Amino acid sequence: MGGTTVRALDGVDIEIPEHTFTVVMGPSGSGKSSLLYLLGGLDRPTAGEIIVNGQRLDLMDENALALFRRKTMGFIFQSFNLVSSMSALENVAFPMQFAGITASQRNEKSKVLLTQVGLADRSDHKPSELSGGQQQRVAVARALINDPLLILADEPTGNLDSQSGTTVMQMLADLHKAGRTVLVVTHDARMTRFATHKIFLLDGRVVSEAEYQSAALQPLQP
Amino acid sequence: MKFFDLLRLVITNLNRRKARVGLTAIGVVIGTGAVVILVSLAIGLQMNANEQLYGIGDLSQIYVYPAYGGGGEVFISPRGGGGGGGGTQDIKLLTNSALQELGALPSVVAVIPREFLQANSVISYKKLQTYTGMFGVGTNDLADFGLKAEQGTTQLSRSTIVIGSRVAQNFMDFNLRPGQEPPPPPDLYDQQIQLTIFKYDDQGNEIRKNYSFRVAGVLSEAGSEADYSIYLPLEQVKVMNEWANNTRINYNKTGYNEVIVKVENPDKTLEVRDQIIALGFQANTMLDFVQGINNFYQILQVVLGGVGAIALLVAAIGIANTMAMSILERTREIGLMKAVGATNRDVLSLFLGEAAGIGFIGGLGGVLVGWLLGQMLNVVAIVYLAQQAAQQGGIPPSVAVYTPIWLPIFVLAFSTFIGMLSGLYPALRAATMIPVLALKYE
Ligand SMILES: Nc1ncnc2c1ncn2[C@@H]1O[C@H](COP(=O)(O)OP(=O)(O)O)[C@@H](O)[C@H]1O
Ligand SMILES: [Mg+2]
Repeated sequence: MGGTTVRALDGVDIEIPEHTFTVVMGPSGSGKSSLLYLLGGLDRPTAGEIIVNGQRLDLMDENALALFRRKTMGFIFQSFNLVSSMSALENVAFPMQFAGITASQRNEKSKVLLTQVGLADRSDHKPSELSGGQQQRVAVARALINDPLLILADEPTGNLDSQSGTTVMQMLADLHKAGRTVLVVTHDARMTRFATHKIFLLDGRVVSEAEYQSAALQPLQP
Repeated sequence: MKFFDLLRLVITNLNRRKARVGLTAIGVVIGTGAVVILVSLAIGLQMNANEQLYGIGDLSQIYVYPAYGGGGEVFISPRGGGGGGGGTQDIKLLTNSALQELGALPSVVAVIPREFLQANSVISYKKLQTYTGMFGVGTNDLADFGLKAEQGTTQLSRSTIVIGSRVAQNFMDFNLRPGQEPPPPPDLYDQQIQLTIFKYDDQGNEIRKNYSFRVAGVLSEAGSEADYSIYLPLEQVKVMNEWANNTRINYNKTGYNEVIVKVENPDKTLEVRDQIIALGFQANTMLDFVQGINNFYQILQVVLGGVGAIALLVAAIGIANTMAMSILERTREIGLMKAVGATNRDVLSLFLGEAAGIGFIGGLGGVLVGWLLGQMLNVVAIVYLAQQAAQQGGIPPSVAVYTPIWLPIFVLAFSTFIGMLSGLYPALRAATMIPVLALKYE
């Protein structure tokens, strides 16, 4: 709060080609999430242009943005964001309701996706009955339900043990191999091994890998 | 989003928070229950009143009186004016030609003049006497008034009379000493009854005239003045009135004092009443009276309904509060919904739906509770009122609290609407949340 203006992102000019696996690296507070939410049409820039698939997100109204998110985007969050009262299957199917797709079609497709993430036997389980890794896999399936052009993941492994984290990252890598465009935000350097493209952020600015590495090596300011 | 999916989601979400939804709905139950029972009570009272009134007079009868210009008479004319020529002709008498005029009106089935016996009179049967009113009617069959005979006939002829169902009970022994048991009411059918009428000459001497009539018929209970009346042919009463008042009556000149117009069914009564007034007569019907009473009960319904509605208002605040809390708790869920493509409208519909759902559930409970309480009250009240009626000789009520089918439907729709209305502000806030802020909310 207060009167200070924080520039979460400043002068960022990036292009993310189709069918790439982009990893956005940066320390906490560097603006990674802000970048992801702007790209996903969940937030609006105070200035500048965001073009996804030829569409100017910064010019769209709320309704158009909602439709854009529905058709083009699949989100994966650090804290999974599953609806606690719904089963795994219902959580996967959840986005399709807003698209007005019939219940039988929703069910069918959700089952296929749950099988794909290896949770076919857990489809009736509530999130509270699933491990973190399993929950995140449900979230991955949910992100895929509307066949998105772009998959955006905000620290998808942040709440997971390293083994589950690797499983999820592998899953995202497989999606990329299957032809999807994936963007993952993380501050975990191990994740870069899957990346075809890397973006480094420091204090809301895009920097080169070299600059990023040297900054990372510097001791913390007293 | 499809309506059915929305409905399912609303039900799922309400199911999720059973305790809170239930507690909030209890407020609505109380409010709607109060509306149901209070309005049912008002309706029951109205039906009761109408039941008591039923038979106060035949509702298909119109009582027509001559109109004496713009003088002191109250001239009710909804049509106003009274048409051309009415201005100069001040008095509109009920002459025979006027009767024909009335008879020519559509839907009129009978036009019957009626005259009171205007004389001091005593009616006696053996040791018993009564002062019941006597009517001369311009028909020879009382069936024209819709009256039926319990014993004998409804036909009138010279030297016979037809009496109302309660006339016999009004015959009393005036020589009875206090404490003495009154005799049971006599069975007057086919008995001779003596009528004595009095007048006084210039010196103040009483002059009597005696008549003897055979009771040719006793009418069935009509619940109206007919029960207490004695009917004679009009000519007979005319002769008596002429004698008692030392006048000659020419109905073609003076007109009748009262004419009863009977229409084919009560639906036409007001229409014909208005037409009669437009002809320049005075006319009224028991329907006016009944309508006045109905208006009163309709106001009572609104007032009592309003009292219940205040309780509902309190419940509405409860719904608003519950929804506001629920939206705060589910902020991240709202963010998620938006992230996966829910429009603001979807979010608004969902939360309005949930609020309306609470209103609906509460309304359902309230309708049920109100109806059940009403039925219980009915059982108790009917017993009590029947005792009262037995003591006071009225008609026992068949209903005390009555819930017509439209009431639960209306109350249910209303409580659902109130729920939705109370959820409007929280739902609007949910719908307009910025997705990214909602997702980050802790
Ligand atoms: N809603 C907000 N209001 C104000 N400042 C914010 C808000 N969200 C993020 N910030 C700030 O913007 C900067 C970038 O935040 P964020 O994109 O969440 O960083 P990261 O995801 O890299 O940790 C931080 O300084 C953060 O404090
Ligand atoms: Mg972040």
